[in-house]
Amino acid sequence: MKKVSISILLFPLVILFASLVADDQLDFVIEKSTPVWDVLEYLGEPLPNHQVNESVNDASAEKGKDLMLIGITKKPKRGKTKKQSKHFVCTSCHNIQKEDPDLRLSNPQSRLEYAAENGLPYLQGTTLFGAVNRTSFYNGDYEKKYGELVEPTRHDLRAAIQLCAVECSQGRKMKDWEVESVLMYLWTLELKLEDLNLVNDDYDLIQDAVSTFKGGKDEETINYIQSFYQNGSPAHFITPPENRDAGYGLIGSPENGKLIYDLSCMHCHEAKRYSFFELDNSAITFRYLKNNFTKYAHSSIYQVARYGTSPIPGKKAYMPQYTAEKMSDQQLEDLRAYIEKMAE
Amino acid sequence: MKCLSISVLLFCFTNFLFSQDFTRQTFKDTRVINTHSVETVAKRKLDVRIGHRFGDLAGSGGGWQSFYGLENAADIMFGVEYGITDNITVGLSRTKGAGPLKKLINTSLKYRFFRQKKDESMPVTMTAFGLWSVSTMKQDTSNSEVLNNFPEFSHRFMYSVQLLIARKFSNVFSFQVIPSYTHRNLVPFNDTNNLFSLGFAMRIQLSKVFGIIADATFPFSDLHTTENGYYPPVGIGLEIDTGGHIFQINFTNARGIMETDYIPNTQSDWSKGQFRLGFTISRTFNL
Repeated sequence: MKKVSISILLFPLVILFASLVADDQLDFVIEKSTPVWDVLEYLGEPLPNHQVNESVNDASAEKGKDLMLIGITKKPKRGKTKKQSKHFVCTSCHNIQKEDPDLRLSNPQSRLEYAAENGLPYLQGTTLFGAVNRTSFYNGDYEKKYGELVEPTRHDLRAAIQLCAVECSQGRKMKDWEVESVLMYLWTLELKLEDLNLVNDDYDLIQDAVSTFKGGKDEETINYIQSFYQNGSPAHFITPPENRDAGYGLIGSPENGKLIYDLSCMHCHEAKRYSFFELDNSAITFRYLKNNFTKYAHSSIYQVARYGTSPIPGKKAYMPQYTAEKMSDQQLEDLRAYIEKMAE
Repeated sequence: MKCLSISVLLFCFTNFLFSQDFTRQTFKDTRVINTHSVETVAKRKLDVRIGHRFGDLAGSGGGWQSFYGLENAADIMFGVEYGITDNITVGLSRTKGAGPLKKLINTSLKYRFFRQKKDESMPVTMTAFGLWSVSTMKQDTSNSEVLNNFPEFSHRFMYSVQLLIARKFSNVFSFQVIPSYTHRNLVPFNDTNNLFSLGFAMRIQLSKVFGIIADATFPFSDLHTTENGYYPPVGIGLEIDTGGHIFQINFTNARGIMETDYIPNTQSDWSKGQFRLGFTISRTFNL
């Protein structure tokens, strides 16, 4: 009788345990809003080295957001931090939204159109949206600009954040808790499956892979998911046209040039937002730009777009150049065509 | 209730200042030549300024003997202005001084309370400007006839308040009117402590980089007349904007740089060649 009673008592517990185990296995149902890293991790992909370090005290995504958008946040004890940079904030040069319609490609024209449709500026830096999904930073020709400084940043997002803080924004080095806060905020901007432009068949394929996953590493599905976005942002430095009078020899579109002027030039130069050099929509300004196309000086759009300017003592608010991936030769001619039209 | 009303009014006023589509750069610099302009220094920016007025270009004090005034310095100014907000600027400077009181330390406060709007609902920009100058001249106790006898410490003080009203008519032309009140605690015998004046300033922008600027100030006083040897300070100059760096080359008959100096003390006559080359270098830094 006693054994029967025990069996009756144990039976529901066994059922409950079994159902919990079964639930665990079926738990991971992918949705459009599922973070890409969650799926990759589930399928056995090792997590990146820029996982948030929980042991760093006083860090928070909210503080990271403050640092990135306004450059100042609350100190761990009391008061506010010193401004990270006197000249820039992260969003001076980087969007924090998706800026490429197709994350597999780095196409400046489709990015420009996407920016115009979505009310985004068109900037020199790569968007920080999805930064934690990348494994490579300061790619390509950035070595020409920063030399050996880029080496430790190539596969280390924390080091990349510090290099950006000190060199790109000409600001102070950030403390550990500040870097970790920025990292926490960047993790809130990670890619979701819906950002990858997957079709239903893709979702089904990934769900099947997840549902039948037996442990280990599902390389095939991981590679398939990763094929929908770039693991780093390519960067190729290019030069102004040899003959600045003739330009790149392409016919420019003033309509497209207006988008570049409004979304790119004016982002920094309107009302001296980030620059000491003011641009506006007056004929005087357009005439000035037109008269300087051929010069070998910062006042030439060819010169400044392809080489940028350098931070110098007393004037550290420099202008970063546009790589081939951020502004094509055609777009530069479009900008020229718009300036010429407005200067008439 | 009173506090609430004031808060609401302040909120509306602040909102008015910060939320509109304003006309920008009525003038390129915070000064025209002698006069201040309606412009203020942007928030968190420091404007470092160096101004210089040479000696008379011609006339009895000029010509070859003084290398057309370049070997003399009528006044020299070193100063900084800082933008507490986009509409409030504080300034501190030291000037040599060209009037009877010299070695001036000047502090200033500037508040832009109306801004011209592109939709014309506000046709002008209005800025209030206040200047307090202290002469740090060595006290001369041996001669009670000189101003730097300074019977009281407050006799070192001079003040000027101005209302700057300007309109940018187009990207090429801006014009400004400046009613002013200047007060000196200690003045020479027969002079008046209080002096009202009306100033005018304008800018013609020739290109993105070059502009012609001019200003003039007319004191209202029975003493400060041409018959008594006083002349309205008039200046004309070329302004060069290189982006973050405004350079002004100007000619003016005013010897002093600060309002407390040039408004009551200008005794140089353009028609006698008593005008001088001057320049101002302004460099803005992010803080």
